[in-house]
Amino acid sequence: MENDLLLCRRVNGRVASPMPSPFTLTFTVNGQTVSLEVDPTRRLLDILRKDLGLTGTKVSCEIGRCGACTVLLDGKPANACLIMAYQCAGKPVQTIEGVADEDLNAIQRAFLEEGAFQCGYCTPGMIMALEAVFRQKPKPTMEELKEGLTGNLCRCTGYSGIVRALDRLSRRRVESTRAIDRLGSFRRAWPDTQR
Amino acid sequence: MKLDRESAGARWIVRPDGCDKVTGKLNFLTDLSFPGMVYGTILRSPYPHARIKAIRTDAAARLPGVVAVITHRDVPGVNRFGIMYPDQPVLCEDRVRFVGDAVAAVAAESEEAAGEALRLIEVEYEELPVIDSPEAALAPEAPRLHPGGNVLHRTHYERGNVEGAFRRCAVIVEETYETPRQMHAYMETEGGLFVPGPDGKLAVYAPTQHGYMDRMQLARILAMPETDIRVVSSPIGGSFGGKDELNIQPYGALLALCCGRPVKIHQSRWESVRAGLKRHPMKIAMKTGVDADGRLLAHRVRILADTGAYATLGAPVLQFATEHAVGPYRIPHVDVEGWAVYTNNGVSGEFRGFGGNQVVFALEGQMDRLAEALGMDAWEFRRINLRGMDDPGPLGQRVAPTDGARHVWETIRRSSLWERRSGRTTDRRAETRLHQRDVSSGSGHVDVRPDNGGSGPAAASFSSPWVRRGVGAAMVMHGCGLGFGIPDPAGGRIGLSAQGNIQVAFGHEEFGQGLLASLQLMIQDLFACDPGDIEIILGDTDRAPHSGSSTASRTTSMVWQALHRLQPHFSRAVCERASTMSGIPVSHLRLGPGGVWAGPERVVRYREIAEKGTEGLQFETQFHFPVTPDAIMGGHYLYTFAGVVTEVEVNLLTGQVTVLGVEHAVAAGPVVNPMGYLGQIEGGNGMALGFALMEDAVMDGSRYVTTNLDTYLIPTIRDVPERIEVYAIEDLPPNDNYGPRGVGEVGSVGLAPAIAAAVRQATGTWINRLPISREQLMRPISTFLHENAPMVSVPDVGKEEG
Repeated sequence: MENDLLLCRRVNGRVASPMPSPFTLTFTVNGQTVSLEVDPTRRLLDILRKDLGLTGTKVSCEIGRCGACTVLLDGKPANACLIMAYQCAGKPVQTIEGVADEDLNAIQRAFLEEGAFQCGYCTPGMIMALEAVFRQKPKPTMEELKEGLTGNLCRCTGYSGIVRALDRLSRRRVESTRAIDRLGSFRRAWPDTQR
Repeated sequence: MKLDRESAGARWIVRPDGCDKVTGKLNFLTDLSFPGMVYGTILRSPYPHARIKAIRTDAAARLPGVVAVITHRDVPGVNRFGIMYPDQPVLCEDRVRFVGDAVAAVAAESEEAAGEALRLIEVEYEELPVIDSPEAALAPEAPRLHPGGNVLHRTHYERGNVEGAFRRCAVIVEETYETPRQMHAYMETEGGLFVPGPDGKLAVYAPTQHGYMDRMQLARILAMPETDIRVVSSPIGGSFGGKDELNIQPYGALLALCCGRPVKIHQSRWESVRAGLKRHPMKIAMKTGVDADGRLLAHRVRILADTGAYATLGAPVLQFATEHAVGPYRIPHVDVEGWAVYTNNGVSGEFRGFGGNQVVFALEGQMDRLAEALGMDAWEFRRINLRGMDDPGPLGQRVAPTDGARHVWETIRRSSLWERRSGRTTDRRAETRLHQRDVSSGSGHVDVRPDNGGSGPAAASFSSPWVRRGVGAAMVMHGCGLGFGIPDPAGGRIGLSAQGNIQVAFGHEEFGQGLLASLQLMIQDLFACDPGDIEIILGDTDRAPHSGSSTASRTTSMVWQALHRLQPHFSRAVCERASTMSGIPVSHLRLGPGGVWAGPERVVRYREIAEKGTEGLQFETQFHFPVTPDAIMGGHYLYTFAGVVTEVEVNLLTGQVTVLGVEHAVAAGPVVNPMGYLGQIEGGNGMALGFALMEDAVMDGSRYVTTNLDTYLIPTIRDVPERIEVYAIEDLPPNDNYGPRGVGEVGSVGLAPAIAAAVRQATGTWINRLPISREQLMRPISTFLHENAPMVSVPDVGKEEG
């Protein structure tokens, strides 16, 4: 994505904002500098999903309880639903779209291998929360990994597959595995509805 | 077989949709956007019961940015929805019956404008008396919520002579059980995108568990031909039954057709809570009697279900509860009656387990109470009453014979967790007191020494006298499919695509359960092809045929049967083409990786066959879910059996119950997709843990007190045990051709009664109400002051609440 592209975006203003306050937010998202004219109280969640089209960050409870919108703000985990634009000024934000390039990282591989998700709606937030743990401590214990996920809810797995993934991560058995290699050329099951 | 990665071997595969899910690339339908899109939002009733005197929308419509405001006057077709009985207004005309009732909807250029417009809509209400409980609804003077009165559905099943049999019983247990208003709490709230086409058609991108059902209901509301509506309904961020009924689809569709622009709706969590379905709160009274040998003689059940303001599937849920209240036991004299009653509470409807969770909690509670009253081991008591392979089903109907009940019973008996129960049986005094002719409700004012002086392996691992451990177990027999009397069609399509893929299409949904992986594995089993040869189409009424609903533990079963029906036709047709192209006789050819093989050689690629034309290479099947030949309404034919054993720790100073470990034994035929199967049982386990210990969408005067995930608590990673083991029993009789049974629901059923039994052993308190109240288990600290006493007598202070 080109920086210029992002620079030009404008956001729908509030209809009945009592105090229109033009504000240019400049920060970095996944390593790229972004400038946006937004209301200073606009939620980071909306900036990511609606203004920048980064829908990997999910919206669920919007009160900081479920962790589906977890991103890294200045390297620390944050609920994007509770962060306002002005709080991001000049800071780096990392989202699920920015955690891995072509290859998947160890957390993502562990989630795939151990069945740590089903519907997958909580998964980006979970992976970001764990990413934060690894930034704090490259070799976290099982306990530290679990603690890192206490703010993230999952309704599908009962956490069993997630616990398996954490166990794998805590033991750092990160290998390229048979199943991953077999991902190959599997086709998408759904029509591409997004133009 | 203990189900895990090791035992699964090569069948433990990464989900086809996995990479997109862990990278955030997967677009859920609520992630979609469209050029020129506007935002839809719905005005819902502030009152649980009121008359609408006027609705004025002029001011809202004049607001800049607003492109459509609709009320009941704008519904061109039938202003009602509901899968079973369409009695729920899309947009209310003159009356609202619950706080989720929709009165108007708005589309605007921004969400802010849409929200502001809602505030400008003036609705004049006149509040009406609120019916906030089924008992109030049944009172003679209660106002009628619907033209037919306040009883949505009534069930009655009877065999033998219950009253006569009770007179011959040596022990009778009578108890009333209550279950909570559990919320599905899928992480993705309801939403979607609605795109009108230039040809007058409408594309709906919104999660559901039955796309064709949504299409039919929408056609009825919109007065449009079904074929003009396309419903794309996967992928889904969790459903568990909660998105089976229409939710936001009518509003999105009406707004899109009204303004001629794409409309996006995505509900907030509070909108989801107030408008969404819940599990039926039930009060279940059971009176169950045994003879002196412990054989069940008579079982009387009365079920009162709060179905809320509208029907949806409230009637079939009650029907299912009625059947499953009898369970996997031989009982000669049975009398079950149920009522699903309208109230002004939130709408209750379809939810994983479908009425089984509530009645199995009650039924297994009865089994534990009877065993204790008889002085018998709780599991042995179940054995002597357990159904045999050829016994009829719970309603006396013929069922597909399997020995699943005995297999799971045996697996639990041999489990290491169940062994931990022995040595910690309840005090003899308790048994003596309970061993009476008629043990009535809550008669367990019993002094117990749960740890029997510290014997048993678990007792050694803790020392605080207020921390107690117990082990409990439960049996489950769970019907698959919709049951006798309800249309339950199935079907699917297979073909070679123009690109040379083996393409299968089902009108089923991927809501996380892992259907894509299951299909991949089944197709590889049948055609020995590569994963890269496979193309799967789900959840799209324009591209997949009718397959029935993705509910009721039926999907894996039905796609397995469909593929087995289609396989010989497709394989033969493809081999015939390959034979023509290669000159090798058909009898020497078989499908394999990348194409058609003869011996060790691939002779024609699928792509090469496709290039010559794919006409005649598409096959479709339509059939019906297997049903019992006996015309007994709601009776099932295929069942999954399960046993659950758990160990809990109870802190008597805080009342906290901690689940330490769980083992599930599941008999559901062959395991197609080990990761998916395991995930279903583990996920059901988590949901059942919440049902048992914390979840309740509390209402006060028919208004929600719990509004979001801060007040409605679901388990976190800290609330679940690390040790959950699943044993899959694959045995089926040799002549059984039905393949895998469903496992989507059964894991969510048995844990609650198992926890209740474990809590009884740990504390001496019988649990008859969920979620288990901490207050019921807490003891005053003075109870523990004589800490060197050899045993602590724990009064059962909780019984007064029963």
